[in-house]
Amino acid sequence: MSPSTPRTTADRWRRRTAAATATVLTCALATACGAGQDRDDAESPADRVGVTDDTIKVGGHFPLTGVAAPGYSEIPSGHQAFYDFVNAEGGVGGREIEFVAKDDAYNPTNTTQVTNELVLSDEIFGMVGGLGTPTHGAAIDFLNDEGVPDLFVSSGSRQWGETPEEYPMTFGWQPDYVIEGKVMGQWIAENMPDARVGLLLQDDDLGADGEAGVREFIDDQIVEVVSYTPSNTDIAPQLAQLQAADVDLVIGFSVPSFTALSQLVALRLGFDPQWMYTNVGSDPSLVGSLLATFSEGAVADGASLLDGVITTEYIPGVDAPEDPWVQLWQRVWDEYGEEGEPLTNYRIYGMSQAYTLVQALQAAGDDLTREGVVAAIEEAGGDFEGPGLAPFRYSADSHLGLSGMRVVQLEGGVGQPLTPVLTSDLGDAEVTEDESAAGDAPPESGIPDVEPVG
Amino acid sequence: MQQLLTTTLTGLVLGAVYAAFALALVMIWRSTRVVNFAQAPMAMLTTYIALVIIEAGHSFWLGFVAALLAGLVLGAVVERVLVRPVEGKGDLNAVILTLGLFIVLHSVAALVFGSRYRSFPAPFGVRGIEVGGTTVALTGFGIFTILAVVVVMGLLVLLFRFTDVGLRMRASAHSPEVARLLGVRVGRMLTLGWALAAVVGSLAGLLIAGGGLVHPGYMDAVVVYGFVAAVLGGLDSPGGAVAGGVLLGLCLSFVSGYLGSELVAMAALLILVAVLLVKPSGLFATTAHRRV
Repeated sequence: MSPSTPRTTADRWRRRTAAATATVLTCALATACGAGQDRDDAESPADRVGVTDDTIKVGGHFPLTGVAAPGYSEIPSGHQAFYDFVNAEGGVGGREIEFVAKDDAYNPTNTTQVTNELVLSDEIFGMVGGLGTPTHGAAIDFLNDEGVPDLFVSSGSRQWGETPEEYPMTFGWQPDYVIEGKVMGQWIAENMPDARVGLLLQDDDLGADGEAGVREFIDDQIVEVVSYTPSNTDIAPQLAQLQAADVDLVIGFSVPSFTALSQLVALRLGFDPQWMYTNVGSDPSLVGSLLATFSEGAVADGASLLDGVITTEYIPGVDAPEDPWVQLWQRVWDEYGEEGEPLTNYRIYGMSQAYTLVQALQAAGDDLTREGVVAAIEEAGGDFEGPGLAPFRYSADSHLGLSGMRVVQLEGGVGQPLTPVLTSDLGDAEVTEDESAAGDAPPESGIPDVEPVG
Repeated sequence: MQQLLTTTLTGLVLGAVYAAFALALVMIWRSTRVVNFAQAPMAMLTTYIALVIIEAGHSFWLGFVAALLAGLVLGAVVERVLVRPVEGKGDLNAVILTLGLFIVLHSVAALVFGSRYRSFPAPFGVRGIEVGGTTVALTGFGIFTILAVVVVMGLLVLLFRFTDVGLRMRASAHSPEVARLLGVRVGRMLTLGWALAAVVGSLAGLLIAGGGLVHPGYMDAVVVYGFVAAVLGGLDSPGGAVAGGVLLGLCLSFVSGYLGSELVAMAALLILVAVLLVKPSGLFATTAHRRV
């Protein structure tokens, strides 16, 4: 036995520990050097991370794969197309917008990880359009602790904007599910006062917030409430329960795939109530395409299976090709979108969010800081004119997004308005008519033109 | 009353699918003592093959048969190429391998077929059957599902009990050394076992897809429930697997319908734990527990 051979277990362990320590130290050293170099190059305080003289880097987490990917995975392509369009015209204040979309597969564990990557390794200025209630919920604390602007979350949960003192960097964008429920509830109270109402809820904020809103108006009309878990695609027992309660109207706070499943199961059960779905789950072209395959012998075509379904609308979509906003989106998509891919409502959603981001950056002025953009949205955001049918609610006291929507009924894949634009807020705020923002048209250039605040 | 009927029928059809899947797990377990977690994505892959054929304009049944054949080939290839080299190198190796395969096949399907939801047609329409003015929550495809599983179980019983090949397969599984001495080509029998199991798995995939939506993860819940069903019935017993599948399908449907959808996964795991604690060999196991 040579002297260098370890003799005892303790010896062996000492050697292994030494080797492991050396490896870790080497890695740490390498990282530290690399990081140090970055810092030297950028020479920027934390408040200006992601901003250089000619670029602004933003990013978001989206389900590019997995169960939530249908539809939602198209949102970042809308963002990208609009930023390309703005960059081709010189960017915002001479800075081009760089957009990084990371896949979290709608899994909160992944969201935490990709958010870390975006903030610490990609060094984004702010997050934009981070998608999903459970997913973004896993990222919101980190973003606020780090002081990273968390703009325009792609989800209608109330938590993004209800408590700005708790989450000062986070802003919602779309109308929250509570006011959507209220708008739906008021319509039912006025137009179907005798209907027996059943609720089909996804068992998260989508269902809970929606139910809270609906109950403000038709608490006494609701005779049955069932909920589904997205991981369990068998919802026949839930619909059987609604059927047994003899309901005339079912309100679904569901995502698109479960909207399609509920329609399929209803065919199987011979269950034929009036259907009403949240805007989130009612995209006629997506749900219709899922149902189209079953058309043989059952229905004429997929989209017509949704005929008569009632839903809501808060931005103009592909079913309104004459709308000036949709014409702008079409123009942008034709030039900067992915070739061969059609313009969809999800891409319009992404472009609409991107439009608001450009407005926010303009409002923050050329001296762009993280605190500055938040202050600018609080001060000027309520007056941003965009594709939204109702105004934003942004202020120092509320970071909630659009304040309203209208109720529409689907006919051949097109939403026919049943009401004017109705706005409201959380709690017992009334639902009132407000067409003030519905007439906004985009500027000729297609690029917003917001004055810097202050 | 109608709710009870609907919940029961839904549970029966779902139970039949779990039964088929449990049957596939049991076949592989019996012959190689491996729990094949990759069964789910293998079935998913073959279902996508059927979907591609059907979407190309061919008949549903052509796609159906092609998927089963693809399952046969896939099962044989997986055994021959991937499982064989790790055989005899510790029980866990092969199981971990199938878990790895699970992830790889998932990614492959997402790359090749995309990860969005797609609808999978049903050959008999998607409306429930009408009896005397009320709709019974049973589609033609639901009836077909139950019949198909019963027929497959019958065929497997015939194969194992009454044919020469079946006897050799049982011999190779039970005592490979002795079987080899008696001139049975054990390797081939194992390949055949995996291939047949994959066919049954593919059938389960097709049955659950028919008249519903598919995406690369659509079978993932089924592998868990199929495994629970197999344990419930006794991992060694094909008849038990079928009984376990139907029992589990009914249980979960009632839990979902009367207690809440969010409790389904928990109920399945409670059943699993209860069975393992009280009767680890399964409710229907006939053979004595074998030490490996």
